[in-house]
Amino acid sequence: MRVNVKRSPGDGTRRSMRREGLVPMLLMAPAAAGVTLFVLIPAVLSLVASLFRVPLTGGAWTFVGLDNFGRVLDDPAVRQAIGNTIVYSAITIVPSLVLGLGLALLTNAAGRGRPLVRTALLLPMTANLVAISVVYAWMFSHPGGFVNQVLAVVGVAPVNWLGEPGTALYVVALVGVWRTASLTMLVFVAGLATLPATIDEAARAEGIRGLRKLVLITLPMIRPTAVFAAVLAILNSVQVFDTVSVMTGGGPLGSTETVLTMTWRIGFGYFDLGTASALAFLLLVVLIAVGVLQRRTLSGWGR
Amino acid sequence: MRILSRAAVIVAICGAVAVSLFPFYWMVRTSVAPADETFSQGISWVPTRIDLSGYGRAWTSGELGRAMVVGLVQTLGILALQLVTCVPAAYVLAKVRNRATGVALTMVLVGLLVPSQVTLIPLFVGVNVLGIADSISGLILPFCTSTFGIYLIRQQIMSIPDALLDAARADGLGHVRRLTSVVIPIAAPGIAAFSVFSVFAHWNEYLWPLLAVRSAELRTPPLALAAFQQADVGYDYPALTAGAVIVTAPIVVLFLLAQRQFVHGMSGTEITE
Repeated sequence: MRVNVKRSPGDGTRRSMRREGLVPMLLMAPAAAGVTLFVLIPAVLSLVASLFRVPLTGGAWTFVGLDNFGRVLDDPAVRQAIGNTIVYSAITIVPSLVLGLGLALLTNAAGRGRPLVRTALLLPMTANLVAISVVYAWMFSHPGGFVNQVLAVVGVAPVNWLGEPGTALYVVALVGVWRTASLTMLVFVAGLATLPATIDEAARAEGIRGLRKLVLITLPMIRPTAVFAAVLAILNSVQVFDTVSVMTGGGPLGSTETVLTMTWRIGFGYFDLGTASALAFLLLVVLIAVGVLQRRTLSGWGR
Repeated sequence: MRILSRAAVIVAICGAVAVSLFPFYWMVRTSVAPADETFSQGISWVPTRIDLSGYGRAWTSGELGRAMVVGLVQTLGILALQLVTCVPAAYVLAKVRNRATGVALTMVLVGLLVPSQVTLIPLFVGVNVLGIADSISGLILPFCTSTFGIYLIRQQIMSIPDALLDAARADGLGHVRRLTSVVIPIAAPGIAAFSVFSVFAHWNEYLWPLLAVRSAELRTPPLALAAFQQADVGYDYPALTAGAVIVTAPIVVLFLLAQRQFVHGMSGTEITE
């Protein structure tokens, strides 16, 4: 290889220049093929599929226009699932963010125990959702689960938490908050760590402390972090699947069915991939809107 | 006043830690308790004796033993493929600027926006067309590369000064040698962070294996646990929670051993101390 450098400019160098141009393409090719084949084409196909009737295992697609969208939005079960997803998101996103920020501030106030506290508070984020759903389902089981045992101590009759349409979604949401708060905490800890120490000193000199400091100084300064945490919380909530699938299977009476579990049911329970794609596409629209919102919020504040 | 607020902070920390850890505690507690104590009256915080037979039932009749092997092959297979595809691509996208890399970078950034859940249906049809449905390849191949991995590792490589690479080039090192002997050693923290993230994400993945796998022999750990729960095991909570421990443990251990990389991979930032 050294020879190329020593040789006088001419054929050899030009050839090596050309090779220098080709090698990067080759290095990039496997990833480019993978992204194209397994991310971009499927993304486009999911839009296309929503306009067709799609046989489950390949074969000819039949064009049906916007029929799938009409069918999916007419279906009361789907509407219930969309409603449930909105309720679930409403009751998980904000608590997850508030708790995540609170936990991050608490961790930072923990003094010497800080690494230990942080490790403990991050554990929920690492937990396997299926495993932890099994555990929560057991804790909330009827009549002998932990929660009902506690209720029995204070003389309250056992509640069938996961078996009642009125409570099941809230129990699933509780698991969502338990886990997502841990995730947003991680983001907030990372964001708070970027604040220069001089800010703290200046605030102390001005006598700004506690909640006032949080609202006036800390939050505005970690705005990008907060937006990122919000996006993560929204994405996690809107796409909830594992916990519902394991804890309730969408029941009782469809009270915990969400957009993604409904997509699953339509696609692989009723084998209607076109309609399922239409529903998945509606989800994609929401998710992209979240992404755009993130961009706009961040760029607006960068100025 | 100061002491009071200090005490409030400590109480709040203890409460938060307790709530965070309680499900883990209850999982382990139930898994080692004798079956006849499962539905005891009143709350029993600690079992009267240790009975590990639940682990045996989870491992054999829950088929978690086999699932752990599948999970290991799947997770490490995905990681190996992702590293082979993502690291070179990240290097090129960070350090080579021309029209092709510009297009490729846009592809990666667009790909980052597409959530995997939305592409599941076409992916499922595609895997069927390719004839790799219900096979280990069907579990691995769709994740052979990762836009997030390319992005994260590229961020790390961007911080390598161009002068260093120019010097290596003047020494006659081609792209491949520059990548292996200069870039990879320096970018190792980013690569490690992504590796931890990838193992975490794919070990825990539930939705795609649920779709891609039909036969019981190919069930991944989360899939096997869910099947065990839905099967007619009645209310064998010691075995179920033992299964949950088995599925959870590898990732918790990974997290405890590689917390720094974990946090870096999840948040894109590094923690100090």
